[in-house]
Amino acid sequence: MALTMVAPGETRVFREYRGKEETKRHLQNLGLVKGGKVTVVGENHSGIILQIKDTKIAINYGIASLIMVD
Amino acid sequence: MSHIIALAGNPNCGKTTLFNELTGSKQHVGNWPGVTVDKKEGIYRNNKNITILDLPGTYSLSPYSAEEIIARDYIVKEKPDAVINIVDGTSIERNLYLTLQIAETRIPMVVAVNMMDEVESRGDRIDCSKLSQELGVPVIPIVARSGKGIHELMEAAITVAKDHKVGKKLPVYDDQIITAMEDISEYLKDKQMEDREWKALKLIEGDEIITESLTNEKNAVEEIIKKLQESEGEDLEAKIADLRYHYIGKLVKKAVKKAKLGHVETKSDKLDKILTNRFLALPIFAIVMYILFACTFSENFLFIDGLPSPGVWLAGLVEDGWAALSAALENFLVSAGASDWIQSLVISGIMDGIGAVAGFLPLVLVLFLLLSFLEDSGYMARIAFVMDRIFRRFGLSGRSFIPLLMGFGCSVPALMASRTLENDKDRKITMMITPFMSCGAKLPIYAMFAVTLFVNQNKTWIVFSIYMLGLVVAVISALILNKFLFKDESSNFIMELPQYRIPTLKSVMIHAWEKIKGFAIKAGTIIFASTVLIWFLSNFNFTGMVDMEESFLAYIGNAIKFIFAPLGFADWRASVGVVTGWIAKENIVATFGQLFAGIDDETMIEAISAGEQALPQITSVFNGVTAYAYMAFNLLCMPCFAAVGAIRREMGSMKWTLRAVAFQMITAYIVALLINVIGNLIF
Repeated sequence: MALTMVAPGETRVFREYRGKEETKRHLQNLGLVKGGKVTVVGENHSGIILQIKDTKIAINYGIASLIMVD
Repeated sequence: MSHIIALAGNPNCGKTTLFNELTGSKQHVGNWPGVTVDKKEGIYRNNKNITILDLPGTYSLSPYSAEEIIARDYIVKEKPDAVINIVDGTSIERNLYLTLQIAETRIPMVVAVNMMDEVESRGDRIDCSKLSQELGVPVIPIVARSGKGIHELMEAAITVAKDHKVGKKLPVYDDQIITAMEDISEYLKDKQMEDREWKALKLIEGDEIITESLTNEKNAVEEIIKKLQESEGEDLEAKIADLRYHYIGKLVKKAVKKAKLGHVETKSDKLDKILTNRFLALPIFAIVMYILFACTFSENFLFIDGLPSPGVWLAGLVEDGWAALSAALENFLVSAGASDWIQSLVISGIMDGIGAVAGFLPLVLVLFLLLSFLEDSGYMARIAFVMDRIFRRFGLSGRSFIPLLMGFGCSVPALMASRTLENDKDRKITMMITPFMSCGAKLPIYAMFAVTLFVNQNKTWIVFSIYMLGLVVAVISALILNKFLFKDESSNFIMELPQYRIPTLKSVMIHAWEKIKGFAIKAGTIIFASTVLIWFLSNFNFTGMVDMEESFLAYIGNAIKFIFAPLGFADWRASVGVVTGWIAKENIVATFGQLFAGIDDETMIEAISAGEQALPQITSVFNGVTAYAYMAFNLLCMPCFAAVGAIRREMGSMKWTLRAVAFQMITAYIVALLINVIGNLIF
């Protein structure tokens, strides 16, 4: 399912990114790799905040809807 | 022997703090060619043979953003004698991803694990000697903010630079990838290329720049990559990223001991629950912005009538001091019997020219003290996130809010604040539209016209509508520039939210000082030269020194006034006003006073500027519609020379400065034309 469906506080496993190559690459550089854990730690009108490894990353809903997790 | 040591690391890893610690005040800030990305160089303060170069912060060496391309081209092509890779100890896994990529370039490297104090205060432990043993390069624990470990770090860096000592090859990739790398490398050998293995790996990753540089061997190389792709059965780039993170995972397991397993809520997390909260984020942001604006520009600070803000107070001090100095100099020149034109050159030309530069410095200082506080504390990244949704619609970044808001005070510090934008395109667009905000100096023009030409109940609306006009034109311009000039359709927002930290006074001061120095030198030249030029044009003609009515400027005004005919003000005095407005927009009032009514009494001009006194003589040229067109033209056309100087300094390119000015002139012309045409149809 898409990351937008995940409630704050939950941790999921990253499957794939269904958007542009360039964005996928950027997310990869920030530590989002297949099989890795993603935790949703916050959300607001702009988008959601993720915890990936030991880093906090903010993304907008457009991107979140393309991130598929288990 | 002299050495160059480059600093590389992720954004927010403390690179700039380390750079400041290492170089002190001996630094030079410029731009990398063609982009508005800072290029900082400095001399190591304990050894003047060592040059330190601060590379832009990047997450990887893939060639997809200006920062990444700069960092990797510098490392691979310029080959510094050593690279210090700064790693944020509090998010070591993500940071080591770049470390592996730098190691792959086979450049002599030292790893500095920063923020060790925070790591320890969490009860975590990082075993640097273990990391060093695994990576085959020196790994030094440091605290950049306090300078701890920096001496050892530099010793290690100088040693690897002298010995050209590179790390060992790391067991990151599987046999298939390694074989493919060797095969590709064989093909590259024929061309006697440098860094063949690194290039081979980059080709496997699908690196566009290096793939394009291939010639004869292209087919053979593509064949190898295709085979590898088939046997690996997945996207090779993702595979390589995966293998790197896999290796880092093992490395971290060996060398890092966490006090608590899993994610622990830190102070930063708690703060974020409030500052990025769905309901609280925008109100808090509004308050922070109000404080920022009030401290810099407010005349009624803390809502106390007549109490100047620190920025206004300092600006007043500088202005008064300068005026006193000018007066003293004038007295001296008079008593020394200097001729009229020398007096005028020194006082109205040179002193006013330098004064124009100096008067802006306090505003720049105060705003940048506050902005670097926001930046260093980590709140700036949250601003970008919180404002993103609103600004994205106009093709701008959430951070564009700060320059645009400051533009209502003064374009000069506002333009310089555009440096806080991450993206080159956003930065350029923001700089082009920031002068469309009605700055404080434009208000006297509106006051003069409103009082003279509009009936009482309409005055406020006229002034308010012209403020709104600036905003609307800025938004439309941003949309147009995005679509046609930059052809950008990305709607992505991805940003790291760094830990909140209390900024050190030192780093805040250094940042503000850099800004002031940059402005005084780079922008100062333009401002000074243009002020003196306009002084000359408005005080001389072929016969020598004359009044403005007979000056070169009047000739020019007469020669160019036809340009303004379609806008409704084909008058030489109106044209001269546009030109003197480029020195400072409020000059238009004094110019009109002098040219239309022969007023050169300063208190009279001040009364007109404040809207207390009308200037009825201008009704011979202007009616309501053409006055509105004239206000709009001066609002939107080229800003004052000080602002142009700031654009020049921030764009880092004369070409882009001229583009920005041309864009503003054309926009002003079109908008004023529309107002005149439509206004005459209605009224």
